[in-house]
Amino acid sequence: MQNGHKQVLVEVRGLKKTFKRKDGTVVEAVKGIDLDIYRGEVFSLLGPNGAGKSTTISMLSGLLSPTEGEAKIGGYSITTQALEAKKLLGVVPQEIALYPTLSARQNLEFFGRMYGLHGSELAKSVDEVLDFIDLRERHKDRIDTFSGGMKRRVNIGVGLLHKPQLVYMDEPTVGVDPQSRRRILDTVIRLKEERKMTVLYTTHLMEESQELSSRVGIIDYGQIIALGTVGELIQKVGEEDRLIFSVGEQQVPDALLERFRTEVPGITSASYAASEFTPVAGLEDSAELVIEKRSTGAMRVVRSGQVMDGEITVHAKRGRKALPELLRIADEMGVDILSVEVREPDLEAVFLHLTGRALRE
Amino acid sequence: MDKLWSVAANDIRVTFKDRTIWLQLVIIPVVIMFFIGLANGGFGGNGVVKIRLDVFDQDNSALSGQLLADLRAANGALILCPMDGGEDNACRLNGATLTEELAAERVKNGTTQATIIIPGGFGEAALAGQPASLIYRSQETPGQASAALGALQAVVQRVGGAAVAAQVAVQTTGSLAVEDEDGFKQAVYNAASALWNSLPPTVSFSESAAKEGRRPSGFSQSVPGIGTMYVMAATVVVMFVFIQERKQWTFQRILTMPVAPWQFVGGKLLARFVNGMIQYGVAFAFGFIVGAYFGDSPLALVMVMVAFALCSTALGLLFATLVKTEQQAGSVINLVVLIAAPLGGAWWPLEIVPEWMRTVGHISPIAWAMDAFRSVIFYGGGVESVVTPVLVLLGMTAVLFIIAVSRFKYE
Ligand SMILES: Nc1ncnc2c1ncn2[C@@H]1O[C@H](COP(=O)(O)OP(=O)(O)O)[C@@H](O)[C@H]1O
Ligand SMILES: [Mg+2]
Repeated sequence: MQNGHKQVLVEVRGLKKTFKRKDGTVVEAVKGIDLDIYRGEVFSLLGPNGAGKSTTISMLSGLLSPTEGEAKIGGYSITTQALEAKKLLGVVPQEIALYPTLSARQNLEFFGRMYGLHGSELAKSVDEVLDFIDLRERHKDRIDTFSGGMKRRVNIGVGLLHKPQLVYMDEPTVGVDPQSRRRILDTVIRLKEERKMTVLYTTHLMEESQELSSRVGIIDYGQIIALGTVGELIQKVGEEDRLIFSVGEQQVPDALLERFRTEVPGITSASYAASEFTPVAGLEDSAELVIEKRSTGAMRVVRSGQVMDGEITVHAKRGRKALPELLRIADEMGVDILSVEVREPDLEAVFLHLTGRALRE
Repeated sequence: MDKLWSVAANDIRVTFKDRTIWLQLVIIPVVIMFFIGLANGGFGGNGVVKIRLDVFDQDNSALSGQLLADLRAANGALILCPMDGGEDNACRLNGATLTEELAAERVKNGTTQATIIIPGGFGEAALAGQPASLIYRSQETPGQASAALGALQAVVQRVGGAAVAAQVAVQTTGSLAVEDEDGFKQAVYNAASALWNSLPPTVSFSESAAKEGRRPSGFSQSVPGIGTMYVMAATVVVMFVFIQERKQWTFQRILTMPVAPWQFVGGKLLARFVNGMIQYGVAFAFGFIVGAYFGDSPLALVMVMVAFALCSTALGLLFATLVKTEQQAGSVINLVVLIAAPLGGAWWPLEIVPEWMRTVGHISPIAWAMDAFRSVIFYGGGVESVVTPVLVLLGMTAVLFIIAVSRFKYE
C-alpha cells in the first residue's frame, strides 16, 4: 500500500476494545482508532495514564482480540493471520516480561526459540542483542540481580531477537533512572537510523514523543484526538507561549487573573492551580520539611493541608514581551512571583489546549 | 512441536533454579516415606494390613483344601477365619463359634472383608467339568474388586485350570490304550493346553516373591503412597505456574510471538508431567535404596505412574481455570493434595477403612493409582492387573482435560 512515497506497514481501522469488569461495569478502553504507521518511521502514541495505549498495543500484537475493528501488519490481519503478522513484529511490553531467576542469556535464548530461531543462528542473534543492549559482560547474571534500567534493556532486547521490521515499545522508560532513560531513547534512535526499523512507541512524556517521533498520535480516553508531525500539532494551538509563575504557598486573588487577561495585550488565558500538601499517612499532624519544586530549591517547613507549589499559567501570543507588564501587576496586587518560566509551544501545550488538562495526571 | 519442547525445557529449568525444589522433591517426601514406612512395618516382615475373611468349607474336599491353601499363599495379608485364628485372636472371634449369621454381621461391621462359602460338591463338580460355584459375600461394589476378591478370582481360575487338566486326563484315559504311556501324556498335554488357551486370560499369579523370600515391607506401601501424593503436588502446581507466568507477563509476551497457544500450554503441561515422573523416580529410588519390594512388573508400575501423572496434571489445568491469585492457588493445591491423599489411600491402605470411605475415596485419582500399585506390589499382579485402574485414570484425564481446555482463557 502506498501513500505518496510512504509505504504503510501498520494499518488500523476502527479498533475498539471494551472490557467488562466483574462488578458489571463496562470500560471502553479504546473507542475506535484509525491509524497508519509508515515503514521506517518512529510513531509515538502520547497520552496520559489510562488513555488506552497499552490496550491498543495489546490488540496490535494479538494479545487481546479487538471488540470491533481490524488491523493489518504488512498486509496480514492480526486476527485471522496472527501467526504471520507476529513474525514481522517485536513487542516490548510495559511490564518487565522476563524470567527473574534465569540469566539474561537464558532469557534471550528461550525467547529466541519462541521466535523460531535455532542453533548457531540463535547464538549469533543472542550475542548481537547482548552487544546492542550493552550487557555482554553481565550475560550470565540472573535478571533479579539487575537494576531497573538493565532489566528494561533486556526487556527491549528480547523484542529485537528475530530482527523484526516493526517493534512496539510500550512506555519503555517507566521507572528507570535518567541515565538509563537516555540510553533507552538512544536505542530507539539507533533502531531507526541504523537498522531502518519501524517503531511504535508509547509514552506519557511529551519530551520523549517530541524527541523521537516522526509522527505523533495524541490519545486520550481511548481516542486519537490529534495526529501529525510535532510541527503540525503545535501549529494547531496557534503557537502560543506559556508563562508559568510560581507563587509558592501564597493565595492568588481572582482579581489578579482578571487583570492579567484584560490589561495585558496578547494574553488569551490565565489560570491558577496549586497542590495541597498531603503528608504521609500516620504523620498528618507533624510538620514536614519539603523541597520546593520550582524557584529557589530552598527547603521549607509545611503543614498538612497547606497549599504549596502554586502556579499561575498564562497563555500569550508573545510571552516574553508581555512579561514585564505581568510582573508589575502582580507586584501591585501584592503577589510575590518566586520564579518565571517561559515555554515555547510544545506537545504538552497541545494536549492542554485539546483537553484542558495537563498530560501528567 | 519444537516450541512446545522449548517451553517445557525452560519450565523445568526455572523449576530447578529454585533451590527449595530439593526440599519439595527429595528431602520432605523421603523423610515422610521413611517414617510412614517404619510405622507400617519398616524393613522387615510383612507390612501388609491383615484382611480377615470368614470361610465355610462345606465341601471339605481335596480341591477345596487346595483352593484355601492357594489363597493363603497368594496373599499373605489374608487371614482365613476361623481356621487361621490361632492363639492371638487374629480372627477377632473372641471365642464365639462362627455361624453364617455372625459372619454376615462381621462383614457388615467391617470386621471381615467378606464371607466365602464353598458349598458341598464343589470339588466333585469342578473335577467333573461341571459348573462349580462358590459364594463370596461382601459389601464391595462390583467393578471395584478388593484385593481379597482379586486374589480369590485368581486362585479359582488356577484351581479351575488344574481341574480342567485332570478332567481332560480322565477323559482321554478312557479313549486310549494305556500301554501307550508317552502318547497318553502327550495327548493330555495337548488337550489341556488347548483348553487353557480357550479360557479367558487368567490373572497371572506370580509367586516369585515368596520363592525368592522377598515380601512387601512397610516401604512398599509408603513409597507409592507418599510418592503419589507428592507427584500430585508436583503436577497440580501447574495452576500456580500459569498465574505466575501471567503475573510476570511472560505468558502474555509469548502470546505476542509466533507461538500457537497450545504450544505454550502444552509445554507447560509436559513440564509438569515430567516433574511428576521425576518425583516418582525419586520416591522409588528411595524405595530401592532401603530394599523395599515392589512386585515383579516394573512395566505395570510405570503404566500406573504415567496414567496418574497425566491425570493429576489435567486436574491442575482444570483448577488453573478456576483460581485467580497465587494465594488462592497455593491454598487450593494444599487442599486438593491433603484431601485426595488420605481419601485415596496414600497414607494407609484403603483395605483398612470402612467400605463407604473406600467407595467415596475412589473419586480421588490417588485411590485408583494405589489400587493398581497394590495389586502389583502386594498381590503380585502384572500389567493386566492394572489395566482397569489405568483406564479409569486415563478416562478421568480425558474428561478433566476437555473441561479445562474449554474453559481456558488466553486473554
Ligand atoms: N483487563 C482490563 N479490564 C478492565 N479494564 C481494563 C483492563 N485493561 C485496561 N483496562 C482499563 O482500560 C483503560 C486503558 O488502560 P491502558 O490501555 O492500560 O492505558 P495506558 O496504557 O494508556 O495507561 C484504563 O481505564 C484501564 O483501567
Ligand atoms: Mg500502559
